[in-house]
Amino acid sequence: MAAHQITFTINGGQETALVTSHTTLLSLIREQLGLTGTKNGCATGECGACTVLLNGEPVNACMVLAVEVDGAEIVTVEGLAQDGQLDVLQQMFVEHTGTQCGFCTPGVLIMARALLDRNPNPSDDEIKDALRGNLCRCTGYVRIIEAVKAAAKAGG
Amino acid sequence: MPMPAALDRENPSVLVMPGPGLPAFDYVRASKPDEVCDLLLQHGDNARLLMGGTDILVLMRDGVLAPKILIDVKHLPGMTTISFDPAGGLRLGAAVSMNTMTAHPAVKQHYPLLAEAAQAVASYQLRTRATMGGNLCNASPAADTAPAALVLNARCVTWGPDGERIIPVGAFFRGPKQNVLMPGEFLAFIDVPIPPPGWVGRYIKLGRNAGGDLAIVGVAVLGYPDANAASGCRFRIALASVAPTPIRVPEAEAILANMPITGETLERAAPAAQAAARPIDDLRGSARYRKAMTRNLTRRALDDVWAGLRKEG
Amino acid sequence: MSTPPTSQQAPSPIGENVRRVDALEKTTGEALFADDLQFGPNLLYGRIVRCPHPHARILNVDASRALALPGVKAVVTGQDTPGTIGLYLQDRHIFCRDRARYVGDPVAGVIATSEAIAEQACRLVEVEYEVLDPVLDPLQGAQPDAPLLHPDLEDYEVANFIFPKPGTNISNHFRVRKGDVEAAWAQCDAVVEREFRVPHVQHVPIEPHIAIAQADRHGQITLWTSSQSPFAQRSLIADALGISQSSIRVISPYVGGGFGSKAGVSMEALAVIMAQKVPGHPVKLRLTREEEFFTTFVRQGLIAKTRIGATKDGKLQAMKTEYYWDAGAYTEYGVNVTRATGYSSTGPYEIPHVHADSYCVYTNHPVGGPMRGFGMPEIHWGIEQIMDLLAEELGMDKVEFRLKNCVRGGSIIVTGSEMHPVGLPECIQKAADAVNWGTDEPASAPHKRRGKGLAIMWKAPAMPPNAGSSASVRFNEDATVTVSVGGQEIGQGAFTVAAQMAAAALGVPVDWVRVHGPLDTRYSPYEWQTVASRLTWSMGNAVVAAANNARRQILELAAEHWDEAIENLDIQDGMVISYKSEQSLPLQNMVVYGLPKPDDQGWRGGPVIGHGSFMPTYVTGLDPETGQGPRSVVHYTTGCQAVDLEVDTLTGQITILRVAAAYDVGKAINPDQVRAQIEGGVVQGASTAFFEGLAFKDGVPQNTSFVDYRIATSVDIPYEIISIIVEVPQDDGPWGARGVGEHSMVPTAPAIANAVAAAVGVRILDMPITAEKVYLALEEGE
Ligand SMILES: Cc1cc2nc3c(=O)[nH]c(=O)nc-3n(C[C@H](O)[C@H](O)[C@H](O)COP(=O)(O)OP(=O)(O)OC[C@H]3O[C@@H](n4cnc5c(N)ncnc54)[C@H](O)[C@@H]3O)c2cc1C
Ligand code: FES
Ligand code: FES
Repeated sequence: MAAHQITFTINGGQETALVTSHTTLLSLIREQLGLTGTKNGCATGECGACTVLLNGEPVNACMVLAVEVDGAEIVTVEGLAQDGQLDVLQQMFVEHTGTQCGFCTPGVLIMARALLDRNPNPSDDEIKDALRGNLCRCTGYVRIIEAVKAAAKAGG
Repeated sequence: MPMPAALDRENPSVLVMPGPGLPAFDYVRASKPDEVCDLLLQHGDNARLLMGGTDILVLMRDGVLAPKILIDVKHLPGMTTISFDPAGGLRLGAAVSMNTMTAHPAVKQHYPLLAEAAQAVASYQLRTRATMGGNLCNASPAADTAPAALVLNARCVTWGPDGERIIPVGAFFRGPKQNVLMPGEFLAFIDVPIPPPGWVGRYIKLGRNAGGDLAIVGVAVLGYPDANAASGCRFRIALASVAPTPIRVPEAEAILANMPITGETLERAAPAAQAAARPIDDLRGSARYRKAMTRNLTRRALDDVWAGLRKEG
Repeated sequence: MSTPPTSQQAPSPIGENVRRVDALEKTTGEALFADDLQFGPNLLYGRIVRCPHPHARILNVDASRALALPGVKAVVTGQDTPGTIGLYLQDRHIFCRDRARYVGDPVAGVIATSEAIAEQACRLVEVEYEVLDPVLDPLQGAQPDAPLLHPDLEDYEVANFIFPKPGTNISNHFRVRKGDVEAAWAQCDAVVEREFRVPHVQHVPIEPHIAIAQADRHGQITLWTSSQSPFAQRSLIADALGISQSSIRVISPYVGGGFGSKAGVSMEALAVIMAQKVPGHPVKLRLTREEEFFTTFVRQGLIAKTRIGATKDGKLQAMKTEYYWDAGAYTEYGVNVTRATGYSSTGPYEIPHVHADSYCVYTNHPVGGPMRGFGMPEIHWGIEQIMDLLAEELGMDKVEFRLKNCVRGGSIIVTGSEMHPVGLPECIQKAADAVNWGTDEPASAPHKRRGKGLAIMWKAPAMPPNAGSSASVRFNEDATVTVSVGGQEIGQGAFTVAAQMAAAALGVPVDWVRVHGPLDTRYSPYEWQTVASRLTWSMGNAVVAAANNARRQILELAAEHWDEAIENLDIQDGMVISYKSEQSLPLQNMVVYGLPKPDDQGWRGGPVIGHGSFMPTYVTGLDPETGQGPRSVVHYTTGCQAVDLEVDTLTGQITILRVAAAYDVGKAINPDQVRAQIEGGVVQGASTAFFEGLAFKDGVPQNTSFVDYRIATSVDIPYEIISIIVEVPQDDGPWGARGVGEHSMVPTAPAIANAVAAAVGVRILDMPITAEKVYLALEEGE
């Protein structure tokens, strides 16, 4: 099977990679680039643990082919902090116990980032709806929602 | 959707389940429509089209389909464009993502029902990729955008070896997971005419949980004032997940066109929708529950739409 | 009480909402989970060939076609695994040998250079099966003429408190015979009898199971895995392989959710056997989500038949219970769920006459294992509904009925033991008050009905009587502290409370303390398992002991240095102080380099390292005939949940408006973490109550993905969760603490069921309470 050379930006830096057609964006990120913050919880678009930003919009990285991101810009959880400064969402997740086991957290943070980018003042229902594709088995979502609210309040 | 564990036909001693990754195939990014037709004709069942991939990649991982090539049609001219013309209506490129569609000013203003239906699908991040075109092509009885497309009288504009074809959505589905496209043919656009003035629409989806499930029942209702109707109004009703394909229910629509709209009329129309439903039992719900829900949710959607119409009127 | 002598003035971190010590790395993506570890190009991948039949004899395994596939390194089968494995009952071969007992049972493992090749090769392994009659129901399985799943049951190694019945499918039978139930019925003015059912549910950690194993050429084995039980895994696998525990090293980084599924050994041993075939190569085995749903542990199914009676003053008199556990193909762990639910079978009630039989029944279903609550959510589903029914029969308010009958300090409980001091009545009152119990409140729409219900619970850590913990406390030069534990951080906040306890016991600021993963059985102190909500209490005691030990070393050094009595010295805020001479010394440097003797006469002290351990020594056995004994368990955590909800009568859908959850945790070391556990447990409990259950068709699971098996999402949660902390101290808990990790999901489902009954008069006896069931029951009622 043919391999494809692709060039893309990830967390601000440019990368080139050789991928097969059936390589998913998730496996490119985790296995080829070794960026393991993004998680694999189902490999089929159902759990949200693999959520990353693709050209500014959140996607399930397991449902995107790596070849498709040629020329694209990707942000993973590792790219949320800028210049050593945590994203306000990260700060609020620490402060409000928005994480327990932490496995869903990278995907949740990316999803919340995308939400605040398009809607800086979301209502409770909007936050819940935005996160409905991010399964969390630990927190009962309560503190995740609180943390997102606090981040929005802090200027998102 | 992911298959229950099953026996492999080739090697019955093996338990077949979705694999850890996708099977191997070749990815082809098409840039011209004719190239797509040629590839499809050339490879037959070994070629499949890719838009958002949220159906096709799942089917491949589950081992239900094993195409040798995937043809990405998102980059064909016009495939990701939305255009609106106040006379002709909306033209959606088949590969427009549900999120792009939902956020588009013309959709928000003139077709909120489309946005409402799309937002019932899965999750926001999935809808960054998932398309309404793919939803229709996949032809699942549970396709959430299909009832809205049906009541909006949307048309599928296809391109094939013989050129363009226009197929009303009502004639697009052939059976569960089957559409009427011919070999070499693909969906290029979805045209949605301007709905009748004063219309009000509603899509109600019932899942096992509040968000992200496939529909147990989906009901779309579109109502509008019509002086030619005995009742002064017309309603269009379409259902998902209660028949081999998404369906319109003309029987119920006729009742509503011919009798003054009262609580009693609405109460009579709902069982007519129920009678048209031919659901099956599955993991999500029994046929009996689906039938009852078809009635109750049709009633609920009619009430909502009727309330909207009265407010408008 | 192992509480250290903290001084009055020092600000103690105990009871403070200290931030999670792992939160930062978990929000930056830096926290490492097992699949994140890098192994380089030497890494091989494993995939598993699984049996497609619920019950079959394996006649032949032919791997020749698989081995011929380029990239395939080796194939292992049951022939490579002579020994049996199991926590309480060794009834499992790591790979099936002559018989497969559930759909998914591992028959062979393929090792290859990539996961894809291994997967492809799995489909080339040809297995010849003779299909056998399956047992798909525990009632059927318990019959004398049922097909036998384990004809060798008699020969299996078993713990001395488990009672298998060879020649049957019953791998444990626990009984309680207390008082005279038959005679008591005559005294009862109201008697209720019902049968309840609970399906198999899955834990659904968001991180699927993963193990990477490597065997070196000298027989040393390393296993990297997402584990709640590195030490138990080491021990069980060593036993199964007939090697020393010291020949296995288990390394476990953060666990992405466990809920019991990553306790004991499930798929980890497969990776070890595979690695032994390719020495020198790490072999990675990770389960797909689909495999996760039915090839690790699932929660056992239950059929519960209960009869209960009370006198007209509302006093409970007698209870007769039969539990048939649908325990699956192997019950090595599940036998103890059977036992625990037997000795807790009355729920938190004082009942003079009790007759209970808890049967662990082999079926050709997935392997039953421990899950959050360890049988308690399943039995409370019935107990708490039948209590409501009985109260109705008696015409009594349900809160009043529970307050009248619930256990209090000094109550004689089902095993004949005396109950320790407990705040259950307070929990009941507070939870009820929080939902305005007794006041009818209007529903939000004409087609909706509102109702309130409540349920109470108890749960004891179910473990061997001598499950132990240990810890060490080491100082760095700058007086920061490294606490080592063998208990795992699985999201419950164990590392955070360990840091708080060490800081409080030592007298240093909490941010000086580091509790690090990964756990490593080579370096971490022993811990039995991270289960049973026992860490805060048991591991906490070990941490306190270790800290006290280190503290003693420091104080002895200072006493000698100042020539003062140790009784006058204390450590506060990182300084050694003397209350007598009012001298002080910073801990920095002295905790590693010691202190100089006067006049340059050398040094005293040295690197401070404290060690401590804890093991309960007072748990007695129970009489095998009667289930009676002086102290059956270490303690019970109790609590109450009250639910206020609405039912949509046109769809059957249920919306929880609020849940009040009150627990007696002894002492909340970190109240915020207690609340976080309550919220998570309530939502997991509600999720199982509303949506969950594995569906089987002829033994084949039908819903092994998130699309088909729904769990609660962010839009499904109660509008409000009110967490209430009650603190009646535990005599041997650190600062009086007891565990609360599991308990919050125990009463959720029956509380919901009771509220639904109150709202619409529909009583659902078989979990889950789907909208469909409620609607159809309403329709039938019309
Ligand atoms: C986790 C998850 C949850 C989901 N939940 C829902 C839900 O709630 N409701 C719902 O309705 N759906 C749901 N789906 C299904 C899916 O997301 C939708 O059907 C989606 O709209 C498909 O669009 P797509 O662009 O991703 O399609 P693709 O997968 O790209 O294509 C769909 C099908 O059409 C074919 N095709 C692609 N392009 C063309 C073309 N131009 N012409 C002809 N054929 C073409 C493909 O070969 C494939 O067979 C879910 C899927 C997942 C993975
Ligand atoms: S791993 Fe991509 S959604 Fe679960
Ligand atoms: S914190 Fe564990 S899954 Fe969300």
